[in-house]
Amino acid sequence: MGIGSFLMAIFTPLMEFIAPLVPGEVFPYFFTMELFQRALLAAILVTIVAGFLGTFLLIRNLALIGDGLAHVSFGGVAVGIVLGASSPLWYALVFSITAAILIHELQSREILTGDASIAIFLTGMLALGLVTLRIGGGGITTDIEGYLFGNLLLIDEADLDLISLICIFSMLLLTFIRSGLLATTVDPLSARVQGLPVRGIGLLFSIITAAVVVSMVQVVGTLLVTALLVTPAATAQLVGRSFRSCLVWAQAFGLSSVLIGLYFSAEYDTGSGSMIALVAATIFSVVGLFKFLRPFFLSLFPTGKSSEPTE
Amino acid sequence: MQSTPVNDVRLDEPILVVNDLTVSRSDKVVLKDVNLKVCKGEFVGLVGPNGSGKSTLLLSILGVLKIQKGSVKIYGQQPFSRASIGRIGWVSQAASNLPRDVRITVRELVRLGTLNGKNMFSWADNGRRERVNKAIKMVGLEDVENVDVSRLSGGQRQRAVIARALATEADFILLDEPLVGMDREARNSLLRLLDQLCHDSDKTILMVSHDLTAIRQTAHRMIFLEEKIRYDGPTEDFPDLESLAGLRGITHVHDEEHAHKHNNKMEVE
Repeated sequence: MGIGSFLMAIFTPLMEFIAPLVPGEVFPYFFTMELFQRALLAAILVTIVAGFLGTFLLIRNLALIGDGLAHVSFGGVAVGIVLGASSPLWYALVFSITAAILIHELQSREILTGDASIAIFLTGMLALGLVTLRIGGGGITTDIEGYLFGNLLLIDEADLDLISLICIFSMLLLTFIRSGLLATTVDPLSARVQGLPVRGIGLLFSIITAAVVVSMVQVVGTLLVTALLVTPAATAQLVGRSFRSCLVWAQAFGLSSVLIGLYFSAEYDTGSGSMIALVAATIFSVVGLFKFLRPFFLSLFPTGKSSEPTE
Repeated sequence: MQSTPVNDVRLDEPILVVNDLTVSRSDKVVLKDVNLKVCKGEFVGLVGPNGSGKSTLLLSILGVLKIQKGSVKIYGQQPFSRASIGRIGWVSQAASNLPRDVRITVRELVRLGTLNGKNMFSWADNGRRERVNKAIKMVGLEDVENVDVSRLSGGQRQRAVIARALATEADFILLDEPLVGMDREARNSLLRLLDQLCHDSDKTILMVSHDLTAIRQTAHRMIFLEEKIRYDGPTEDFPDLESLAGLRGITHVHDEEHAHKHNNKMEVE
């Protein structure tokens, strides 16, 4: 029994238990039918890891690396499909991790600074995938769309196994290195002086990022990976007052984006990935706007402390 | 050695010894034959104009830069060797030190100082909480320990970074321009704090600054660096501005030879 089926066995009773409380006409299927349950489970797993990972990505100024690695993964998926792989995600995993290691080395050895190395790998590996598709692909382009925009319902048991494996493993590793990771992120030189393995942690973090991105490709799609990776974490920065609270807020915003996004996509029959991304961005805008306007609201309703309004 | 007026300096316990250090960066000599010794309990101020090699010297001491010629020893060990790791508390400029997008409280920041290569994976406390409390108390930030660092004033933020260095429990504290962007009051209270750390907590301090007055107020010993060490001696003997210009070789009005003689005469061995 794969790890995915194991998680399904644990969580399906819980899902079925909440199912009667779930609103909507189509959305409750996510809690009752196996195909949908699998999709929901994958989406939630991926969101939890993405929120955790995204908080670090944001501080490290690596918000767009997720986007880059997603394109690389897409190249891997394309090659995998043409070669007739049963689960092209494994190809994506190899592509993505290789690219992440190379990008990290190019940056840390200061051969290429900034985003240039990301840009090169993004386009290069994507192009490799597209060319391979054109030469050997024939008529299988329809399959590919699920990876571009995300298609939760295409996640089969083998996919869920891989997604769960990546998510659980990444989450464990991240929890394990979180203090060292924060220290090297906040002030690399001090961390080095303290004797922390700055380079090792950076490399491990890159590999984890690469793996998590692959696990997200089917859920939100190559083009929208950043929506779950960065947007909830960025929204959390607006309201959080400490690092710990930012981690919690990122989970809250991420999970609500997924649940609300799935609800709307089910009820109005839109793509799940794009709806999730749209909801995440909307939450960010609303929170941002509220934060921006807060001083204005506060001045409209003076508290007891201030003197009587002059008007 | 001559007249260091401080009672608790232990000259027989050298902490930092720099011998004939020469460093070139992109074919330009930045440091030339630098010799330097800092002993336990000293408060040394390192001054020098922009581009004088102060940062290069610091990075060499921290072991970030590879040393091409000469040697640097900390507690008798190579910088960044197994034995010297964790024995330097590094305080970088507060303004450039923290990434803008991070929300991190004083307590969370200081706690990072308790990490080292061995305990970074451990969940156990092992007295780390106590160390954090002590460090926060030493810099007087108890009232704001749960406040996001980015909401603090410049002076408070610098204190938080110092607390992080104190939490490492290193005895040798290196500070890079800690006074930048601070108002007079914050600056004075920070200098008082550093003085206390040296005298009451027995820390050895090497502070880099281009604020001459500040260093004069606090350091026992001053070093003027510009490519090489132009002055190294007690603070009260530090030359006035005019002789300083001579030390620095700012004598373009004179001919080369004259300037050279002038230099030699003033240099303190």
